[in-house]
Amino acid sequence: MSLKIAVLVKQVPDHEAIVQIGADGNLDIEDRYVCSFFDEIAVEAALDIRKANADAEILALSVGGKRSVESLRRAMAMGIDQVEQLGDDSMAFASGLAVANLIAARLKTFNPDLILAGKQAGDDDMGAVGPMVSGLMGIPLVNAATSMDVDVDGGKVRIAHSMNGETWTVESGFPVVVTAQKGLAEPHVPVVMRVMKAMRAKIANTSTEDLGASEIDSTGRLKRLGYYSPPTRPPVQMVDDVNELVGVLAQRGVV
Amino acid sequence: MACNEIWAVARISDGQITQAGLQLVGAARELAREKGLDARAVLLGCDRATADDLAGVIDGVLWLNDERLNEYDAAVHAGALFGLMEVRGKPVAIFAGTNDMDSEVVPRLAAMCGAAFASSCVKIRWEGDDLAARRPVYGGKVYEELALLSRPAVVTVRPGAFDDAQKLAAPGSVEEISVEVPPSSGVTVAERVSSAQGGQDLSDARRVVAGGRGVCGESYQTVEALADALDGAIAASRALVDAGERPHEQQVGKSGKTISPELYIACGISGAIHHVLGMNTSKVVVAVNSDPDAPIFAAADLGMVGDAKEILPALAEAIKTLKN
Ligand SMILES: Cc1cc2nc3c(=O)[nH]c(=O)nc-3n(C[C@H](O)[C@H](O)[C@H](O)COP(=O)(O)OP(=O)(O)OC[C@H]3O[C@@H](n4cnc5c(N)ncnc54)[C@H](O)[C@@H]3O)c2cc1C
Ligand SMILES: Nc1ncnc2c1ncn2[C@@H]1O[C@H](COP(=O)(O)O)[C@@H](O)[C@H]1O
Repeated sequence: MSLKIAVLVKQVPDHEAIVQIGADGNLDIEDRYVCSFFDEIAVEAALDIRKANADAEILALSVGGKRSVESLRRAMAMGIDQVEQLGDDSMAFASGLAVANLIAARLKTFNPDLILAGKQAGDDDMGAVGPMVSGLMGIPLVNAATSMDVDVDGGKVRIAHSMNGETWTVESGFPVVVTAQKGLAEPHVPVVMRVMKAMRAKIANTSTEDLGASEIDSTGRLKRLGYYSPPTRPPVQMVDDVNELVGVLAQRGVV
Repeated sequence: MACNEIWAVARISDGQITQAGLQLVGAARELAREKGLDARAVLLGCDRATADDLAGVIDGVLWLNDERLNEYDAAVHAGALFGLMEVRGKPVAIFAGTNDMDSEVVPRLAAMCGAAFASSCVKIRWEGDDLAARRPVYGGKVYEELALLSRPAVVTVRPGAFDDAQKLAAPGSVEEISVEVPPSSGVTVAERVSSAQGGQDLSDARRVVAGGRGVCGESYQTVEALADALDGAIAASRALVDAGERPHEQQVGKSGKTISPELYIACGISGAIHHVLGMNTSKVVVAVNSDPDAPIFAAADLGMVGDAKEILPALAEAIKTLKN
């Protein structure tokens, strides 16, 4: 059998981009966007599988507007030849539920054996879409995989992930949703030739209507009330001596 | 069908509710009281003794007494909670933890019932009749506040966001409820290895000593010795994990664990935002670093400048002395 893999990717601000709350209460985000950290790991994990299974078919999907196209170009440059954008700019800031709805609708016709997503996206850090796709499609889920061994002929996959203080090695048949944790694969930097080629590629788009999912509300029943600065601690108290330190810790009741 | 309850999903470790679970119960009680709702803890599987124990801290325990829930399976646990909604009605909210199990189960459940979902919340309050949840985004650079406009509102709550629930004067009731439990999803566990490497589970530890590049190699032993003296768990920065010195399960930060112990001692850790994000909700943070300008001091309550190799053994001794 030839394995079919779907990889979900999202374009997000680079982890070093400056993100601030503007005077109007909205976010000022420095214009440095990349394919989300864990999504590149998911892409590489799919490519790793294809190394051992040359006939594996991989489809990368991204929901959203113009920006999402860039994450698909990255996936292409890394070596994935089938990519597709779902929805449009109205889905650019869609909630996890809306994104998962679109992806599940699209995957009904692709019928993947393996769906790979990131553990959490670098912008909303929600960790929702992978588990939500599994719930909507009614298929098994393994979160935050740190290693994965696919046995195509045996029709199963062996995955290691951390589970409340233990490392569990689990086995699942297909189809299954797996989200990528650091360690699952080491994303390579694509060569310039492929980056150039991906830059010129025409990226397919499927609209929300075509997916028969137009009733999906992009808010996912969430309403943003505002942004806040991270809480700060009172200024640090410097101490010179361990006995003084232990004294303060005892006072605070933590030793 | 709806019920006027807030549910806290209780996770059990070694026969006892986890500290994070106790805080969820505390959160459910507090928010339910403000609106005249009932707080309930949901116990998946386990036994009568655990259910009774739980009833000591909450007015009612919904005990899904079904053996098939004792073996963890994300789809089965999500399905059972969905089944509970079928028989009891949709609660106003479901509170769960940020532990590895709930991180699978709860968003899956939210999708199954089309509910609003917010993860890793540090603060929850009422905004009119809706719940509003505050949570870090963009790697913790800013926080957002979201109103959840559905019934149920589904959230996972970070450890340390609420106080542990206090014991009730009179224990609550235990309701045994049978729900439809879906068949196993087919994910089977082939092997389980404790990742603490002899130490405690990091996620639920009250005291944590973490080492970074400043205590690499043999000097990491000073971290272990201090953790020992404190009866705490050990942790590491990504620098040590990437170097292959510590297992990934011990990594604290954005691409590792998020923890909220009562005491976090960062040793030889520079304090990169990616690290700080995993520990900045700890109650008391101590930093030991040879560089007085290390950013970790901005994330600490108490700081000591100097060589960790000298400070940590002295600190371990001072703590042992205090204990005796
Ligand atoms: C997407 C992404 C995700 C990441 N996720 C994580 C994560 O989850 N967790 C994480 O930790 N990092 C993470 N990082 C990496 C992070 O940015 C830092 O590189 C890392 O935390 C640095 O580790 P460190 O502080 O141990 O090492 P360094 O930055 O090298 O700092 C070592 C510190 O030790 C001090 N020191 C040296 N010698 C001594 C001594 N003898 N005594 C006392 N102090 C001494 C130095 O002054 C210095 O401050 C992530 C990075 C990215 C890009
Ligand atoms: N708009 C999107 N398009 C495609 N995949 C997405 C999108 N949003 C989230 N994902 C996938 O779901 C993962 C978790 O995202 P989140 O739930 O937003 O934390 C990401 O790492 C991606 O793999």
